[in-house]
Amino acid sequence: MNEYMIIGQYVPGNSFVHRIDPRTKITIIFFFVIFVFFANSVGSYGILTAFALITTFITRIPLKFILKGLTPVWFLIIFTFSLHLIVTKDGTVLFNLFGWEIYSGGVIQGVAISLRFFLLILFTSLLTLTTTPIEITDAIEDMLAPLNKIKFPVHELALMMSISLRFIPTLMQETEKISKAQSSRGVDFRTGPLKERIKAVVPLLVPLFVSAFKRAEELAMAMEARGYRGGEGRTKLRLLKIQSIDIWVYLLFTCVIIGLFLLRTY
Amino acid sequence: MSSKRTLFLVEVAIFTALALLLDIIPFLAFKVWPNGGSVSFAMIPIFIVAFRWGLKGGLTAGLLWGLLQLVIEPVVVHPLQGFIEYGFAFTALGLAGIFAKPVQQALKDGKLAKRFIYIMLGVLLGTFLRFLAHFYAGIVFFGHYAPEDQPVWLYSLLYNGSYMLPAFVLSTVVVFFLFIKQPRTLLQTAS
Repeated sequence: MNEYMIIGQYVPGNSFVHRIDPRTKITIIFFFVIFVFFANSVGSYGILTAFALITTFITRIPLKFILKGLTPVWFLIIFTFSLHLIVTKDGTVLFNLFGWEIYSGGVIQGVAISLRFFLLILFTSLLTLTTTPIEITDAIEDMLAPLNKIKFPVHELALMMSISLRFIPTLMQETEKISKAQSSRGVDFRTGPLKERIKAVVPLLVPLFVSAFKRAEELAMAMEARGYRGGEGRTKLRLLKIQSIDIWVYLLFTCVIIGLFLLRTY
Repeated sequence: MSSKRTLFLVEVAIFTALALLLDIIPFLAFKVWPNGGSVSFAMIPIFIVAFRWGLKGGLTAGLLWGLLQLVIEPVVVHPLQGFIEYGFAFTALGLAGIFAKPVQQALKDGKLAKRFIYIMLGVLLGTFLRFLAHFYAGIVFFGHYAPEDQPVWLYSLLYNGSYMLPAFVLSTVVVFFLFIKQPRTLLQTAS
C-alpha cells in the first residue's frame, strides 16, 4: 500500500474546476443544493442540468470515476423513478405495461424527481472528485472562522481532521501488517462462520488500538516539543487565496440562478 | 509528558481515523445496503474514546467522524438530510461517554457484570440516537421524494434498523472483549 494513497474519490488533475478555490466550490455547491429544489419546469431543470454537465465536462475527469461516485444512488434513482411511474395517476394514460397503466403525469414526475436526485449527487461528488480532503478541511476551517468568536474550537477541529486524514494511510499499513502477522499465526479473517470471524477480529483490534495509543502519545509529545500551544497566532503552510477565476465562477453561477428563476413557472 | 489537551486532540483524531479505516477495509465491513450504511467495527474506536475521555471525547470524536465522512464521500440530497445524517447522527454516538465514569469504576473494582451492563448501556444509547437520526432523515428525505400514501416510516425503520441492530450487537460484544483483554491500556491515561 502506498503511503501517499489518497482516500476518497479525488482524481488528480489541473483543470479549471480543480483550480477553483475550495471555499468557492463549497459555497457554490451549498447554494446549488438549495436552488435545485426551486426548479419546476423544463427550462429551469434544463439550465441546471446544462450547468452541471458542462462543469463535469470541464473537469476532464474520466467518465468511469464519475459513474463510480454515483454508485450509491443508482438504485435510489431507479427506485424513485419506477415508484412515481407506477403510483402517480395524473394526466393521460400513455400505455399499458403488463397490466399497469402508465400515466403521463407519472413519467413527468418520475423524470423530474430522478433528475433532481441525479443533479444533487453529481454536483456534490464533483467537489470530492476535484478537491482533496485536506483542501476541503482547510476551506472549512476558514469558513467557520467566525465561530471562533463564540468559543467554538474551529482550529482544533480542523487540525484534528487533518491529523485523521494524514493517519488513515499509516494506520492502513499498520492494519495490513498486523493482519498478516496474525494470519501467519493461524487467525482466519476471511472465511468461516460469522461468529468465528468476529472473534478473529479481536486479536487484530487489540494491537491496532495499542499502537494507535502509542502513536497518539508520540505525536502529542512531538507537537509540544515543537511548541504547539493551540491555534492562536499559528501560521499556515497552505494558504487559500481568492483569485480572479473565483470571481468569474461566482458571476457565472449567479447568472445560472437568475436564469433558473426566470425559467421556472409560478 | 505532554499536556492532556494536546494528547486529547491527537488521540481523538487518530481514533477517528481508525473508525474511518475500519469502515474501508473490505474484509472487515459488510456493505450490502444500497444507499449507504454498513455493519462494521467502525463505531468501536468512537466508543473507546467515549469511555476513555468521557462525554467530551465521545462527542468530539463523533462530530469529527461525521465531518470526515462528509469530506470524503458525501451523499447529500437535501440540506436538512445532510445536517442530520452527518452532523447529528455521528455526534450522537459520543453520548455513550455519559457512562465513562461508571465503566471505569467497574473496571477498577473488577466487577465483570457491572462493566458489561454499563458498556452495553453506553453503546445502546449511542447507537439508538444515531439510528433515530438516520430514521428521521429517512422519513424527511423520503417524505420529500416518495409518493404521498407510502408508509415511509416503515421503510426507513426496516432499512436503518437492519444495519444498526447488528452493528449495535457487534460493537457491544467487541468493546466488552477489548475491555477484558486490555483494561489497563484503556484506563492508563484516561482522566
